[in-house]
Amino acid sequence: MTAHGGFDRKLRLRIFFRSLSLQASWNHQRMQNLGLLFSLLPWLQRQPADPNQNRLFCRRYFEFFNTNPYLANFLIGGLVRLEDDRRAGVDVPLDLIATYRDSLGRTLASLGDQLFWLGLRPALIMAVCLVALTGHALGSVLVILAFAVMQLAVRWAALGWGYALGRDILRLLRHPAWHRAIRASKKIAMTLTGMVAGTYVAKVQDFSGVLAGDLVWVGVILGIGLPLLIRKRLPGEIMLLAATALALAAGFAI
Amino acid sequence: MDAAPALLLADPGWLQLGLVSLLAGLLCLDETAVAQTWVSQPLPAGVLTGLLVGDPVLGLAVGLPLQLVMIGNLPVGQSFTGDSTTAVVAVVGAAGAAGVSLAPALQGQTPAAQGLLGWLLLAAGLLSLAGHRIIQAERSAHDVWMLQGRLTLRDGSLRRMEFMHLRCLGLTFLRGFAACLLFTVVLTSWWLPAFSSLDPRLRTGLSLLPLLLPGIGIGTMVERFGWRRNWSWVAGGALAAFLLARVGGWA
Repeated sequence: MTAHGGFDRKLRLRIFFRSLSLQASWNHQRMQNLGLLFSLLPWLQRQPADPNQNRLFCRRYFEFFNTNPYLANFLIGGLVRLEDDRRAGVDVPLDLIATYRDSLGRTLASLGDQLFWLGLRPALIMAVCLVALTGHALGSVLVILAFAVMQLAVRWAALGWGYALGRDILRLLRHPAWHRAIRASKKIAMTLTGMVAGTYVAKVQDFSGVLAGDLVWVGVILGIGLPLLIRKRLPGEIMLLAATALALAAGFAI
Repeated sequence: MDAAPALLLADPGWLQLGLVSLLAGLLCLDETAVAQTWVSQPLPAGVLTGLLVGDPVLGLAVGLPLQLVMIGNLPVGQSFTGDSTTAVVAVVGAAGAAGVSLAPALQGQTPAAQGLLGWLLLAAGLLSLAGHRIIQAERSAHDVWMLQGRLTLRDGSLRRMEFMHLRCLGLTFLRGFAACLLFTVVLTSWWLPAFSSLDPRLRTGLSLLPLLLPGIGIGTMVERFGWRRNWSWVAGGALAAFLLARVGGWA
């Protein structure tokens, strides 16, 4: 087996920067296949030049691939490890690499979507909105930047962990901390939603002295109630147009 | 209802227009293509554009309601992807060029400023929908280019693979840059001056829009996560924030 030291800092840096653009060539047919291949090419370029080996390597990774971009580096690190091992003569069948890529990709997609898209993202957005509601424009950008630094650090560390664990990465994925983090982030998101709601109501109270008071409160109740009434997950743009129709109708009703 | 502010045909200034479009291109890269740090979300994107045009409060006023109403939009895979980033940057850039100040709207001082904010938010929603079509066209181009990678499966040329990926990156940047340029010109030459000629009842209706949108964002969150499971967290947070706002004066 190759030691962890085989994944030197220079190679790790090159793969890390490339992995950030995993979704740049996202396409409907094979999704992140080209992005994954682009991330792994620095490893291949380190090997002795051999067009036939290049061809076979590209064929392995040109197939359909999709995962969560924030956790993808666990997988990319693991794949570099498998390729390293294979080059070093360890028995790593090609179909094992394909299975590793596909099954781990799906698992990380599921975990990442739950943790990042449905947990951390709403929580962070609500935190940022809360800061903005209190009038701190730059504060809201600083909160986002702090999160950006954190997630980049996680991605960097994940590349090393993925490489160090290789096939043993399942141990990491089975850890209950993932689900604890998902549950906690959702609760934080809901608490922050409540805080935004409380601040928003206080703001509207101030506004209702200027605009038509009762109508403002009808609007607020309609606004909060609209998604609950529709119960269909419509894009924000469509909700905005629906709200415009409501607002214009109210304008004519005054 | 007080009189609508007179917004003349604004000259965006080519340097400022170029800088705003450059920012839009860079933020479009952040949206899905590179890093996804969420700086491209409507609120931070609005504030950054506001800083660029010299009025971060303008960016905050436009970005905050849009951020909340679009909280359910996820920029993942095959899901619906409006181009809210370019839309926000263009709207704030155009409003900045026209000398619009939305500070009174944030303090609830003048219905006219609220109406103008509603007009800008409507523009952002429509432009974001228009941007959806452009994003789909871009992804179709990715499909075509990706399939050219089959040549590498025959000759082993790694440079071609790298070039295809980098070409997709370049296209995303260009898409944001060009769309923002076009949107800003449309806004400064037509949309913003049109506000003055709107029917006063329409302006009254539009003045309610900035107050409706945050409510929709809150409702979306409650609908997604479930009221029954989470009511105690939401209610606790709401009560604490309301008391802090009223007693502590934090908002």
